Amino acid sequence: MSGMHALHKILIEHAHPKPATVTPGEFLEIEPDVFAVQIGTNAEYADRLESDLAELGVKTLPLKERMFVFLDHAAPAPTPGIAAGQKRWQQFFRSRGIPMTDAGAGISHLIMPERGVVVPGCVVALRDSHTPTMGAVGAFAASLAGGMLSLFALGRYWIDAPAVSLLRLEGKLGKGVFGRDVALHINGRLGQRGAQGKAVEFAGSFVRALSMDMRFTLCNMGTELGAMTSYVQPDRITLDWVKGRTKKPFKVRETDPGYQYDEVHEFNVSDLGPQVAAPHAPDNVKALGEVEGRAIDQAFLGSCASGRLEDIAVAATILKGRKVHPEVRFIVTPGSREVLKAATRLGYIEALHEANAIVTNANCGACPGLHGGILAPGDVAISCNTRNFVGRMGADAEVYLASPATVAASAVAGRIANPLSYL
Amino acid sequence: MKVTGTVWKFPQDDINTDQIRRSIYSHLPLKEQAKHCLETIDPEFPAKVSPGDILVGGKNFGCGSSRPAHLALMAMGIAAVVAESFGRLFFRNSISGGLLVTPCPGVVDFVNTGDRIEVDTAAGTVSNLTTGASMKCAPLPAFLREMVELGGEKPYLKARLARDAKAGAGA
Ligand code: SF4
Repeated sequence: MSGMHALHKILIEHAHPKPATVTPGEFLEIEPDVFAVQIGTNAEYADRLESDLAELGVKTLPLKERMFVFLDHAAPAPTPGIAAGQKRWQQFFRSRGIPMTDAGAGISHLIMPERGVVVPGCVVALRDSHTPTMGAVGAFAASLAGGMLSLFALGRYWIDAPAVSLLRLEGKLGKGVFGRDVALHINGRLGQRGAQGKAVEFAGSFVRALSMDMRFTLCNMGTELGAMTSYVQPDRITLDWVKGRTKKPFKVRETDPGYQYDEVHEFNVSDLGPQVAAPHAPDNVKALGEVEGRAIDQAFLGSCASGRLEDIAVAATILKGRKVHPEVRFIVTPGSREVLKAATRLGYIEALHEANAIVTNANCGACPGLHGGILAPGDVAISCNTRNFVGRMGADAEVYLASPATVAASAVAGRIANPLSYL
Repeated sequence: MKVTGTVWKFPQDDINTDQIRRSIYSHLPLKEQAKHCLETIDPEFPAKVSPGDILVGGKNFGCGSSRPAHLALMAMGIAAVVAESFGRLFFRNSISGGLLVTPCPGVVDFVNTGDRIEVDTAAGTVSNLTTGASMKCAPLPAFLREMVELGGEKPYLKARLARDAKAGAGA
């Protein structure tokens, strides 16, 4: 018996019935603390959900009081078709008295921890694939996928207890290198199947010293390893961050000493330089030097991976007193209204405006390729969103993923550039 | 559960849900979405598929975003997907929606486009009716098999809620 991981303890606490212990792969029926939904763009799906619930005889949603609904993809609606789809979804929730965020509030994965809705030890259920982002506060945050209807009808869903891999990160970053470079490096080394179906825990002296903003970034990119969820054991930094934000009581769970991780991967970040994921996969990662100088048409800063205050701060530092290259669109989409407000207060937004950057309202922005920076065929972009899959941000375009600093430096240079010369 | 059909093989690994059905089509009626499935890999594919056909994929089929790409495949008439392995979200979404999905390591070398195959989830076999060979794949976990046999999450919940009501009435 090798003991249990904190994630397993969290799951058991939320399970019906509660087993004494779990084995990876075993299904548990879970009642989450938070059930979040993103407003869809397709009216047909809302009609289907409506009729499914009627067929199942569900009148009031069992998790109504724990529901949070977000309007973050394609918000406000960029086309009549999407507007109609969103309207139908809003009507579905409005008729049930469930509150929704407005089109400028930002991305679900940022808002929930920011507002203290997702706290250490809680289980959050959300379909979106980047739900693991919120594991940075020590929550169980797996994308639920199949299970939506169960949550609407029963208030519970099924989760297979994950095997857990440990990613131990040591060392200190050099100048011009950031948390996002570390995330990209991990994606490159482990690949899109590096943690397929497992949970990943980020630990080690590098993580212990890391800000919450960058912990979210690391956890976010666990998704691109195929991970079910990401996790950081809460520490003083977590608790200081969470405490000012929530009135909810919460319980930090610890992993048993001697717990046998499924796999252990060691990383030393000290010698790492800026990283880039070249088209068309988030694990097609190279040292920046290999693609430096490639001319770009667009630079995008935002998304649930890198749309936080620290990300905008570094861009503002780079752009201060400089101008965006005249042939480049530099689009900055804050991840949440809180981020946008703080960045405004601190003068970052002013610096971006002065440099001719395009600052948008807070949402997913160009990341899902629905509006706010769709690429034309043949366009080349550098971006700190989550994915650079083929066609993701526009058909026949090329997307290079990089850190916010590299994105900002490239926006100035008009070609992929090393941020070191701009800091 | 048994399904027999003609194979379309996409042997590439890591085919993501954005490739299965791009998000720019996500607001369209499913019938329209179905006309674009996997078009970034094979533009002719949507026109070639017949109802009842089976997709065979490589490793991590359906990785990436959790948007319901399986519904577009179902609207296209795809009866089952057998892959070396699946992205977790696509896999769960498919089981929930009643699309038969079976992980079967080795399947890419075992079948070719145009072969007739039979997938038997209870026995955990894929039989190639064209070559006459048969291979084992790991059976689904019991819980998922039950949901698959019943036809997905909704019929499962129907049975479950009826059972709960009965237990409640008896108590
Ligand atoms: S920012 Fe991108 S990856 Fe994140 S939730 Fe929005 S669309 Fe998904």
